[in-house]
Amino acid sequence: MSILEVTKLKKKYPSFELGEISFSLEEGKITGFIGRNGAGKSTTLKALFNYVHPDSGEIAFLGKRFLEHELEIKQDVGLVFGGINYYSKKKIKTITSINKLFFKDWDDNAYREYMKLFCLDENKTPSELSEGMKVKFALVLALSHNAKLLILDEPTSGLDPVSRDELLDVFNNLCEKGITILFSTHITSDLEKCADNIIYIKNGKILENGNMKEFVTSYKILNLKEEQITEEIKPYLIGCKRAKEGYTALIKEEYTKNINIPAMEADLEAIMIHMEKEEM
Amino acid sequence: MRNMLRKEFKLAMHPIAIIFLSFSAMLLIPNYPYYVAFFYLGLAVFFTCLNGRENYDILYSISLPVRKKDIVKARFLFVIILQLSQIALAIPFAILRQNLPVPCNQVGMEANIAFFGLSFVLFGIFNLVFFRIYYKDVNKVGKAFLISSIVVFLYIMVVESCTHILFFAKNYLDTKDTYYLKEKLIVLVVGMLIYSITTLIAYRKSVKDFEALDL
Repeated sequence: MSILEVTKLKKKYPSFELGEISFSLEEGKITGFIGRNGAGKSTTLKALFNYVHPDSGEIAFLGKRFLEHELEIKQDVGLVFGGINYYSKKKIKTITSINKLFFKDWDDNAYREYMKLFCLDENKTPSELSEGMKVKFALVLALSHNAKLLILDEPTSGLDPVSRDELLDVFNNLCEKGITILFSTHITSDLEKCADNIIYIKNGKILENGNMKEFVTSYKILNLKEEQITEEIKPYLIGCKRAKEGYTALIKEEYTKNINIPAMEADLEAIMIHMEKEEM
Repeated sequence: MRNMLRKEFKLAMHPIAIIFLSFSAMLLIPNYPYYVAFFYLGLAVFFTCLNGRENYDILYSISLPVRKKDIVKARFLFVIILQLSQIALAIPFAILRQNLPVPCNQVGMEANIAFFGLSFVLFGIFNLVFFRIYYKDVNKVGKAFLISSIVVFLYIMVVESCTHILFFAKNYLDTKDTYYLKEKLIVLVVGMLIYSITTLIAYRKSVKDFEALDL
């Protein structure tokens, strides 16, 4: 049984459509939810918790449908929105004193340990914390009620590289403890550091959903001169775009043998850039 | 629900709400449209909802193990507690005002039992108008407050005008409590009924609107 199963989730807005989103999360793994700004990442995550009402589709956490088991599910899931600081002028200890009332598995010892681990001071207010510390505080609240699944919407956006790296280390540690993490981002390097699986969304549709390493190794990058872009190789090229010298394009690994041009390893950023370029 | 109410008072409430509660003492002003003292509580509700918007109160609340309708119920209970507290706090000042050795209120209604009945109607109107707009789009707090304020002020103008124009209002209701007690008690009971009904309607409609709202 997967910890989260999303089936044919659809939501239509006047200017945007989230089309049949289906994915599931492997327990104890980190899954990166990637896509450019406006691709539908936040809408999908909000739809999981009925913040936005899907037009159709099924959402089940640990085999339980969300709408029928909302309260039980919320006890087991931690939802963290990056860049949002609740009650910015209230002391952290005041926010915590209220937050803990709602969770039957709240663990004061765990709370104190995580606060210490993340060097958070209870007497500060969220407005006095850096962006990274705010995310860490949100994580502390989620972890102190023993959340089995953490869903994080752009937790690393707006953080400096060092804070991002620290946070990704935290994710890896949590993953080792068996906690499942789904986090959305448009920063590809974050995923390369910690994600086991990847869900790639573009214009409201899922392009890829699977193992991160397999996904990255399934593509190669070509550096091309203009005269090399012949009608013969064009069908194999994905997102051919201008580079400083010549052109670059993505190609599926299995097609590299069909062309006589050396292909290089692709990283996630290059894959994403070329995929976004395609069909524009 | 007790936990949600604690959240309302400890995290969501704007501190100015407490100050506005003390405005019940405005009933001691010798000549004044006393309903205005109760209007300020609407401002406290507005500040709390505005403060909530700036502090992501709804996004926080919905991340807790509560249902959307619990969020609406907690906010209504919070406002009802404030409104009843303001009435309760105003009673001693009203009694004091009636016993002060100064002439009756020349501007509008006396601070008497009927006044409290009509103030309940004021709160009921505010709840109905404000929350119907607010829960259709929780980001449009200003619109909800502006429209509800206009409606409440129109109501104040009408009831205060009646105190000067209508024979029954002028000669029966706008008097000290020692006179026409039965008539005033009827106004109080009817006012409380109107408050209960309008607030209940506002709550039910708000739950429906908020459930349908995409956040």
